[in-house]
Amino acid sequence: MAWFRPVVVAMALLAVLFGGAGGPEAGASSLGSGPPGGGSQGGPQLAKAKGDACVKDRAWMRRNHMDFLKHRRDETVREGIRIRDESLLNCQSCHTSRTEFCDRCHSFVGVQPDCFHCHNYK
Amino acid sequence: MTMDRRTVLGLGGAVAAGSLLAPGVYLVAAPKPPARTEVKAGRRWAMLIDVNRCSPDCRACTQACRTENNVPLFGDPERDIHWIRKVEIRDKSHKRPSITLPVLCNHCEHPPCKHVCPTAATFQRQDGLVLVDMHRCIGCRYCIIACPYKARSLVYHETHLPEGGNPKVPIRGKGVVEKCTFCVHRLDAGEEPACVEACNRDGDKGMIFGDLNDPESTIAKRVLEAKTTTIRPDLGLGPQVYYKGL
Repeated sequence: MAWFRPVVVAMALLAVLFGGAGGPEAGASSLGSGPPGGGSQGGPQLAKAKGDACVKDRAWMRRNHMDFLKHRRDETVREGIRIRDESLLNCQSCHTSRTEFCDRCHSFVGVQPDCFHCHNYK
Repeated sequence: MTMDRRTVLGLGGAVAAGSLLAPGVYLVAAPKPPARTEVKAGRRWAMLIDVNRCSPDCRACTQACRTENNVPLFGDPERDIHWIRKVEIRDKSHKRPSITLPVLCNHCEHPPCKHVCPTAATFQRQDGLVLVDMHRCIGCRYCIIACPYKARSLVYHETHLPEGGNPKVPIRGKGVVEKCTFCVHRLDAGEEPACVEACNRDGDKGMIFGDLNDPESTIAKRVLEAKTTTIRPDLGLGPQVYYKGL
């Protein structure tokens, strides 16, 4: 049965190669692969976040992050309410690159938020 | 309990070192920012500047402000932005020596800049800080005309975060009016304004900052016991930057 061994090894290699690359969460999370509630199939590839979990679940964040930040913005400026976990600075600790996270989606849907004209985000 | 000679000497040395530290300066590790902060009403942030200690060539406060708040210098005296600037007062008859003092936003109790603002971008926080909401400012410059302290500047040019700038303070876009915030981001984190910290660390140790409404605070006691004045008290604006020896 020695002739059978290379065939098995080759099949296993092929399975690893194609199975690994085709997985939905391999290296980058795609907008289309998440739960229903945001994005469509074939959306932009976003950089994988560093931390374990976001402050809100993914679908909610996709739909509402802009209202979330804007609402906090007025509260922070006027009433000094600063919540460490919900600040733009804290977003950066997990989503480290603006060009590979924020900008990819913003340019895909064609919006130009002007937050980053003044607020620093690497 | 018995202590050997070495322990007693060591204890004495520690006490002596502790009492040698400048009053009001504590050796504590920088705390992690609190999970949630909110302005408390009833506070009254104020600053006391000892003019006699302020030497003409010291720029510790202005330098620290520029670094902390990313205040750019364009090299054009007409359009440069100053949150805090050194002012020299000369006696024309030369009877008294000239003095220098830092001038910054006085965070008035009745701020004229707030009253003239057409978009309510300038507002007063519950703890008395007068701030500009950059998201609302349209750059009309009424507030610059209204302010008797020349504390406000319009951003005439595009600015960028400088190399080594402070990422915690957003830069201001072209066409808004900016001014001293008493380092509101530091106050909310429980720290002193950058100018006061720099003055007490590298400068002439002539600035005190604190809550005037707290009778136990250093500034409340000093304002009570020393003869202090404000700039243009006759205007009745209730400025909160006090000067000693002016």
